Amino acid sequence: MTHKFLSHQELASLIGQLLAAKTRVIAPVRAKDDSSQLEYQPIQSPDDATFGVRLPRRSLKEFFLPPTEVLLHYKQTKAGVEIREVPTEVPPQVIFGAVPCDAAGLAAVDKVMNWDYRDELWFGRREATTIVSFLCNTMDATCFCTAVGLGPESSTGSDALFVPVEDGYLAYLVTPKGEALLQNHGTEATATMLADAETSQREARAKVEPNLAAIPVEFATWLASNFDHPVWKTLALRCHGCGACAAMCPTCHCFDIVDEHISADEGVRRRNWDSCQTGLFTVHSSGHNPRASQSERFRQRIQHKFSIYPSRFGEILCTGCGRCSRGCPGGMDLPSIVGELVALAQAKPEAGGQ
Amino acid sequence: MSNEEVPCTDITWAPRVVAFVCNWCTYTGADLAGTSRLKMDPNVRVIKLPCSSRVNPLFIIKAFERGADGVIVSGCHTGDCHYSTGNYHARRRFAILHDLLQFMGVEEDRVTFAWVSASEGNKWQQVVNETTARVQQLGPFGAPQGQKGGAQ
Amino acid sequence: MNELQETARKLLSDGTVNVVIGYESGPRGVRAAFITAPEQADKLIFDTRCVQNLATYLNPRRTQITRLGKAAVVVKGCDARAVAGVIREKQIERANVVILAMRCGGVLQHPESDTPLNADTVSVRCANCKVREPKLFDYLLGELPPEPPVNTLRIEQIAALEKMTPSERWNFWSGQLSRCIRCHACREACPMCFCVKCTAEKSQPQWIDPSSTLQANRAWQTMRVLHQAGRCVDCLECERACPEHIPLSLLVGYVAEAVERRFDYVASDDPSVPAPFGVYRTDDDEEFIR
Repeated sequence: MTHKFLSHQELASLIGQLLAAKTRVIAPVRAKDDSSQLEYQPIQSPDDATFGVRLPRRSLKEFFLPPTEVLLHYKQTKAGVEIREVPTEVPPQVIFGAVPCDAAGLAAVDKVMNWDYRDELWFGRREATTIVSFLCNTMDATCFCTAVGLGPESSTGSDALFVPVEDGYLAYLVTPKGEALLQNHGTEATATMLADAETSQREARAKVEPNLAAIPVEFATWLASNFDHPVWKTLALRCHGCGACAAMCPTCHCFDIVDEHISADEGVRRRNWDSCQTGLFTVHSSGHNPRASQSERFRQRIQHKFSIYPSRFGEILCTGCGRCSRGCPGGMDLPSIVGELVALAQAKPEAGGQ
Repeated sequence: MSNEEVPCTDITWAPRVVAFVCNWCTYTGADLAGTSRLKMDPNVRVIKLPCSSRVNPLFIIKAFERGADGVIVSGCHTGDCHYSTGNYHARRRFAILHDLLQFMGVEEDRVTFAWVSASEGNKWQQVVNETTARVQQLGPFGAPQGQKGGAQ
Repeated sequence: MNELQETARKLLSDGTVNVVIGYESGPRGVRAAFITAPEQADKLIFDTRCVQNLATYLNPRRTQITRLGKAAVVVKGCDARAVAGVIREKQIERANVVILAMRCGGVLQHPESDTPLNADTVSVRCANCKVREPKLFDYLLGELPPEPPVNTLRIEQIAALEKMTPSERWNFWSGQLSRCIRCHACREACPMCFCVKCTAEKSQPQWIDPSSTLQANRAWQTMRVLHQAGRCVDCLECERACPEHIPLSLLVGYVAEAVERRFDYVASDDPSVPAPFGVYRTDDDEEFIR
């Protein structure tokens, strides 16, 4: 991976040039309703961006899979039904200041979006987007990126990773898109800068690692063989099944498709966020619900993220950002829940229930 | 305000007003207004229901969503309900709906609640014409002041 | 062991209840506790961080809890009104729940901060509390603390909204509701939203579009607040659950004030007192009706 040094002024100048060329630039900004919170939003000037303050309250997911989007427009005419699909190509955009757990989330979801069907809307946006992550130094006790195989210095899903050094950033160019973005910017990094950057990354990791030990590879198998373990009956008693966790999660991607009419002969088909935590998610048209209580639904959440997705796609469907736990009104804390389950798995390495 | 003070005029934008009326009193009163050849604005679409208590507040919300600029809700005077107590229940619901809609930013003049009896053809005429005139003044529902636009 | 812990321990060990739903310290601060073993009763706590309305867990839809057996629930006076509500509306039988009511002097607006209680930190819903000593209980526990300080923030925010023009109010709510992502956490956290199938989940016909467009979001929140009118106990779990931090307390607070003003009714902790929309008075307000 090549690297270069980018000063603060050069970064501002790069952003300014992109904006002048009418490229959409997204970065963390202070939320209008609560200035202590950050959100990823399109910016109009480099000064709007607020880097390195805290984790933005929502992930980057909404820029690639919006909470609601029109898939097609239909109109009934005398000749039949006219269908107008939405464009799948979008103009190029750049995200600066992505937190590594958010960028990694996108890479994880890429796998299912290209599995049995290539999702043109998702990839249209992915292909148009260059993502620059910044080393995270705003971790708290609820973060656990290192436990899921990532870290505050992870470049998974990023096209470039910026690590703060004196007067600017050491920019690691992870992909050809990252190289192209910084083609005409930056200077050669000195050995000191490299060493400082590496130290920063090590120190950042050391801050997160104590929160939760790395999840062992065998955990996925233990989950698969312990579907009927008694722990599932009591693990999620306080869970409301509200789905706020799924909404905030960088990797949750389930959706519902609905048709909405505009008038008697015209309408749109929409894709909306949905969550396996809601009561009606698995209700059959017969009325039967195979996941009839929150215990089964929460089990599904853990199984999908830490067992099913890994066995199918080779990675955990969780980036350890902690938003699910910070936002949960019922007090569900994923790092401690996963810790509890891993302890069970390690206490009883043999497969099968109690 | 009588009809003479609120003439029906030819205008480029005409408000769409939906009226939810009860079958026994208001619908009959509206019918009387019609058979008496009273001049009324043509903007009102009447939806007949068995009783004012059949009016689910969602009907009013949905009417605005689907293009209505104003809504009239009308039934029997209290004490005269064909089903004895329907309009008493409805009155409570409408009171809270009336207050909440204003709190959400819907102008009070867009929603008119009325008790119109079977013999009050003139009153129906007034309700229709005044509501239409007020909504005409306010402009299309949901659009920024003075501009056309759908509800959003 | 304090009074609450001892009462819980006894109820569990003599088999009166199978589970005590209360508050405990968790990794992220105070959270709901489901105590099934008498020796675990010492986990139960009660302090100013105990904000959550635990009555939500009595909802019969929550079969993962109902299958544990008969429950005792720890409530504050405000929460007790929600228990009364679900009893009034025939979701549970009074005899099937043991109510452990705590005397209360107010809770924090931000319980995760664990700060002392004052006019800035106290929850907005504690203002002028009249149920510090709950009247619906099987056991009335704890010392009566002093009256809570009054946080006037919500009163001021509602007053500011009422002073705006309709257009300004419309724009305010447009700004807030454009953030709604229709996760329905507000509904799931609410003790009075116990419907198996919510109006918003019905598609025959589709009264409320499920998509998170501004228009549909406005319809959803308006409808939910209307369905709560006269039933909402102002626990503000809806606002606390909202991942987008939409100020739902302003909506429910306004409607509660309208219900009190028009029908002289505040959510009652007496299940035999009917809720306002099931009854009427022949002299109800009708100044808004032509």
